[in-house]
Amino acid sequence: MTSHSPERATLKYDRRVTSVGALLDEFVSAGVLIFFGVGAPEELAEFSVIHEGAPLREPVEPGDVVTVAGSRYTVLAVGEVANSNLANLGHLVLKANGQTSVEMPGDVCVEELPFPSIDVGATFTIETGRR
Amino acid sequence: MPEYKKVKVVKGPKGWGGPFLIDPKVGKDKIVSITGGGIHPIAAKIAELTGCEAVDGFKTKVAFEAMACCVIDCGGTARVGVYPMKKVLTIDIYPTTPSGPLFRFITEQYFCSGVRLDDISLA
Repeated sequence: MTSHSPERATLKYDRRVTSVGALLDEFVSAGVLIFFGVGAPEELAEFSVIHEGAPLREPVEPGDVVTVAGSRYTVLAVGEVANSNLANLGHLVLKANGQTSVEMPGDVCVEELPFPSIDVGATFTIETGRR
Repeated sequence: MPEYKKVKVVKGPKGWGGPFLIDPKVGKDKIVSITGGGIHPIAAKIAELTGCEAVDGFKTKVAFEAMACCVIDCGGTARVGVYPMKKVLTIDIYPTTPSGPLFRFITEQYFCSGVRLDDISLA
């Protein structure tokens, strides 16, 4: 058995939430969920989900699935700087707006679904969609 | 007492905001790079021209009041608003325009984007 069987999803990113900013809800209510890896300055951490941070194994693409605290979202569009943000800073701007083209270069657009409540210890993964 | 030089920043070809003058004072003299991969060359150049110290904002905590300016590589949502909101002169290396939940704080007075090395000069 190989782990690269085409029927299996490839895990591109797999991290655990280490803290949740006090002002997170202000962005969540606007349909935006912001992530940073540990080490982010306090002024960014206060409205972000902070996680362990990790090297990105493969670039994120439309069709991938982002899972946050058990809720799944299909990726519809990926901005041109989104992958370098994620690889360098653990930084991701997730917009649940259902758009198939990005508004800003750092955006990753996903299906228009509500974001879950996120607690410390929740998982945050990105994997290839099952095609 | 150190003597700092003033530096002028103008927007890049597709950028927005500015121009503004970075005028460091003792106690407000950190050039903070809040970018992936350490101190960005733009921050290094501003530090060199002004005589200030460049700091990696992901490694060292710097109070807003101590920031002469900050350099970001923001794709348009988070960092783009936070620092102008705190009235820190903010230079985005990407040509972003005001957007995101904090867009109302992003003004020409505090924000300049699409900035390249050639857009920074001694005033």
